[in-house]
Amino acid sequence: MREQEYEVLWPRSPRQTQLKPLAKRLDTLNGKTVVQLWDYLFRGDEMFRSLDEGLRARFPGINIVSWREFGSIHGAEDKQVVASLPSRFRELGADAVITAIGC
Amino acid sequence: MLRASAAAEAAGVPSSSIVGEGFLGLAAAAATGQGTPTLPVAKFPGHPGVQSAEELRRNTLEVTLFDVINNLLETPAPGSMATEPGARDIIFRGTLDEIDEHFYRNELSDGLPFRPPTRERVEAFLRFTDRDPDEVLGILPPDHRAATVWSVAVNGVMAGCLPEYMPVLLALVEAMADPYYGVEHSGNTPGSDTLITINGPIIRELGFNYTQGVMRDGIRANTAIGRFWRLYLRNVAGFLLHKNDKGSFGNTWRVVVAENEDVVKEIGWEPNSVEMGFEAGDNTVTIARYAGGNHIGSVGGSTPQEMLPYLAEFVARQHLWHLTFTIGVTEGSLRPLILLSPILARTMVAGGWSKRDFKQALFDKARLPAHHVERILRDWTQKGIWDIGVEARLGRLPRAFHESDDPERLVPIVWEAEDFLVTVTGDPARNSAYIFGHNGYGGYPVARKIKLPKNWKALREKSR
Repeated sequence: MREQEYEVLWPRSPRQTQLKPLAKRLDTLNGKTVVQLWDYLFRGDEMFRSLDEGLRARFPGINIVSWREFGSIHGAEDKQVVASLPSRFRELGADAVITAIGC
Repeated sequence: MLRASAAAEAAGVPSSSIVGEGFLGLAAAAATGQGTPTLPVAKFPGHPGVQSAEELRRNTLEVTLFDVINNLLETPAPGSMATEPGARDIIFRGTLDEIDEHFYRNELSDGLPFRPPTRERVEAFLRFTDRDPDEVLGILPPDHRAATVWSVAVNGVMAGCLPEYMPVLLALVEAMADPYYGVEHSGNTPGSDTLITINGPIIRELGFNYTQGVMRDGIRANTAIGRFWRLYLRNVAGFLLHKNDKGSFGNTWRVVVAENEDVVKEIGWEPNSVEMGFEAGDNTVTIARYAGGNHIGSVGGSTPQEMLPYLAEFVARQHLWHLTFTIGVTEGSLRPLILLSPILARTMVAGGWSKRDFKQALFDKARLPAHHVERILRDWTQKGIWDIGVEARLGRLPRAFHESDDPERLVPIVWEAEDFLVTVTGDPARNSAYIFGHNGYGGYPVARKIKLPKNWKALREKSR
């Protein structure tokens, strides 16, 4: 004898986000202002030091804005920090951003 | 971190997000959840925490640098979002075993058998609320799905809840959506899980265990509502293992703790609900995330003063990396929870202590040497570059953390006495306590009042 069958509902719920376009990429980093953002975890300061060295070697005209300009982007205030970023980018004339570190 | 990158992209600034090798799956899932599925990521090989300075430098220059440059100069492939069912769609028809298998294979269940969420069962749950089934209680990251009344009922059915638990489930999801709670951090590496504490007359009405074995599965209200919480985190918030849930080891969901309000009333202490800003006698839920806990066995002493040294020592020792929520990543967000068995609470009251006195005594006594706290955060766990003295001089820490420059001075583990939460529950016949290691801002204590429907009594009569 066939067991009873049931029709069952979806336990998820519709996503509320739409596909968002990404920013146009740059043609070079020479002459561009690149901002560092750090969550103050897992030796990101050391990573940025090495990245600076590598980026300056490849792109001598690069202008790097240190993570120290922003403080930590992680923690109880992170929503406010993220909300403030676009205006900070405008103030600094940021052309690109490097964020660290997801671990 | 990915939220910062998404904010940059939205502002027209290209980004590169540096992600450790083991977290690339999480980055992909989280990026999809925020609507940027092809958000460029730069890989860092291995984990920086265990690499020498030279290894870290080499990995950065030989791997991460290459990715960063590509991320900023090369246009990413166009992204797309998967098509999904509608909120009320029937997604499968089959026997219990077939449904179980279908849900498991599609990551819609927790791996245990569950009640099939049929329309009839869901409608039975909806009768226990006056709210519209389509009402949105919040948007839950990282998947950013709508936490609807309807979806609460569907997952409540699956968890094995009874329809009359619905008002509790709704209060829980309202709390989950509160930004102060920080649900978006629920997949972090400590694998912390939420402890739900329930207060009010509804404890007896729905048959919660609030005595011996309060945290053990076996009593339906405590157990099924605990299971609901984790199912909802999976199905609606989006915390799936190996994707958004990156707990290194993880934890099973926690059984709901109900406070022993009979004893609390008898001894004149305020219940947890009052600590959370409600009136005594209100039906409430409180949620907070804890990385783990430990039983404080056989607390000896006939006075609170005799019991305190052992309790305080245990509370202080339970907190190591967690101190980053007191000093460091966030300041002042550590809220340890102590469960006291009724015998201990009665002994404190017999010795003249209020709950506030107990918290103050813990604040004064549960302390660690300043140099040890700095060593834990700066040297051992690489949680930043902090010096307690510098932080205090900048006005970012209370005076109690820097009463002198002596590195041996004892500093508290929280900012103020009221940061400790205390709940009376557990075996009335045993002199035990339990301490939870809190997860700070990633699971900050949040409470909600349980709203019963207008015809609650009639519905309860009918369900009996």
